[in-house]
Order: sequence, then structure tokens, then C-alpha cells
Amino acid sequence: MVLTDLVRDGDEKDKDHHRVRRRAVLALGASLAMGSVAGCGLLDRDPDPPPAPDALLPLADQAVTLAGLYGLAAADFPDRAATLTPIAEAHAAHAQELARIMATPAPSPSAAAGTAADGIEARVETLRTAEKAAYDAAVAACLAAPDHRAALVGSIAAARATHLEALK
Amino acid sequence: MTGELTAALAAEYAAIFAYGPIGVKLTGAEQTEARAAEAAHRTLRDALVLALDASAVPPAAPAYTLPEPVVDRAAALRVAVGVEEKAAAVWRAALPATTGPQRRQALDALTGCAVRATRWRRRAEVTPLTVPFPGKTP
Repeated sequence: MVLTDLVRDGDEKDKDHHRVRRRAVLALGASLAMGSVAGCGLLDRDPDPPPAPDALLPLADQAVTLAGLYGLAAADFPDRAATLTPIAEAHAAHAQELARIMATPAPSPSAAAGTAADGIEARVETLRTAEKAAYDAAVAACLAAPDHRAALVGSIAAARATHLEALK
Repeated sequence: MTGELTAALAAEYAAIFAYGPIGVKLTGAEQTEARAAEAAHRTLRDALVLALDASAVPPAAPAYTLPEPVVDRAAALRVAVGVEEKAAAVWRAALPATTGPQRRQALDALTGCAVRATRWRRRAEVTPLTVPFPGKTP
């Protein structure tokens, strides 16, 4: 009997202890919530400057632009779509993969230059010029990339070289 | 780094071996292209042998298993595409393990393999001519 009382006392003490702890946790949560509001800049007088753009942002921009250019060319010249469409898809896949690993937001698609009046030869020349510039940029980015990014950026550089080959 | 470069060397030995039977089944411009590809892989092999410590250079095997017997032109073109894809994969894997001029060499090697794979796909009339991420293995 005495033993049971002791146990019951112990249980009630535990319950009290839990109530105290619960209040403390709630208070801590409230102060964290206040802190996060302040961190959002609502209460800050001096917000942090935005982070520097990711080194791969130009590559992602090019991928988005090239995906658009190849997509339009494939639509305008259906007899070349078998070559052009997979390249458009590759650039889109590059943009997606770069966006996944970049610290800063990915670029939004920009309107591709309207060159619908050009013939196929002029359009291919436009694609070739843009692809060559993008290839050179990807080579430079691969050589400058930290180890964990080198394989992806290297694959993108090699892919751009194969696009130039496929345009021949 | 040595592990990745040794893997690249093994792939280059295998590529050089494969282009022997491939060249035999091709004619004219295609045979010329196969010889040029073989020469490119010999150059890559030589660069690797120089880059690796003499003690770390494994010798070439007397023969390498081909993915299929090279019985005709179609098989030769298929095997050529496969050889370049395989070599591209080892060079891609070497990129994170390299810096400076060695990374440039690995990138040029990856790019060369990817471009030759595209050329062989065109000869074989395989579409698409390109893959989104050359050297990336699933």
C-alpha cells in the first residue's frame, strides 16, 4: 500500500513535470516564431544583401534559350525535327538539372528570337553560333567547377559539342 | 585520382582493340573514320601512360570481349557506338578526380568520344543522334 502511494506520488510528480516542460516548449516555440518573423526582414532595418548569382547561372540561361530556339526551328522545319527535337529536349534537361543543383533560383524561360522568316540554312547557322558560344562557356565552367559539379558540367559541354556535330 | 585514370586506360585499351575488327568490316570513308578514331584512342592511351606512375600502369590484355561478333558493317557500326559510349563514361567519371590541365584532357577525351559516337550513330542511321548527358550511366 505504501509502495502504491509512493508510485502514485511519483506518477503525479511526472505529470506536473510534463506540464511544466510543455509550457516551456510552447514558450520557446513562440519566441522562435517571433525570431523567424524578424529573420524574414519584416522587423529588420538592415536586411542581408542577396547572395551572389550561382556560377552556373549563365549555363542555365543558355540552356533555356537554346531549348526555345531548337523547339521553334523544329516546329518551323518538320523535316529536320528528328534531329532538332532531341536537341531541344537535351537543352531543357540540362536547364532542369542545373536548376536542381544551383543555389540561386533558375532562370525563367525567355522568348526566343523570332526568326521565322529565315530559311533553314540561316536558322541552322543561328543555332550553330549560339551552340558554339554555349559550348565554349560550358568548357570554361567545367574547368572552373568544384569536383562535385565537374561531371555534370562536363557532360553538358560534351553534349553541346555533339549538337554542333549533329547540325553538320 | 589514379583509380579513375587506370579505369580510363583499361577502356582505351579495349577501344583500340575493338577498332581492329571494326575497321575490317568497313570500307571507304567509314574505314578512314575508324582508323582516325583508333588513332585518337591511341593518343589518349599514350597520354594516360605518361600521366600514371610507371608502377601503376597495367599492361593491355591480349584480347577484350566485344559486345557482339563484328560480322558485318551494321555490327561494326553498332560496336563502334558502344565503344565510344563506354569510353565517354570512364572519362566523365575521371572529371571530379582531376584539376587543371588533367581535367582539360579528361573533358576533351569525353567530348571526343561523345562526338565520335554521334558520327557513328549517323552512319548507322540511328536516331536520335545525340544523348542528353554523354558519359552518364543510368
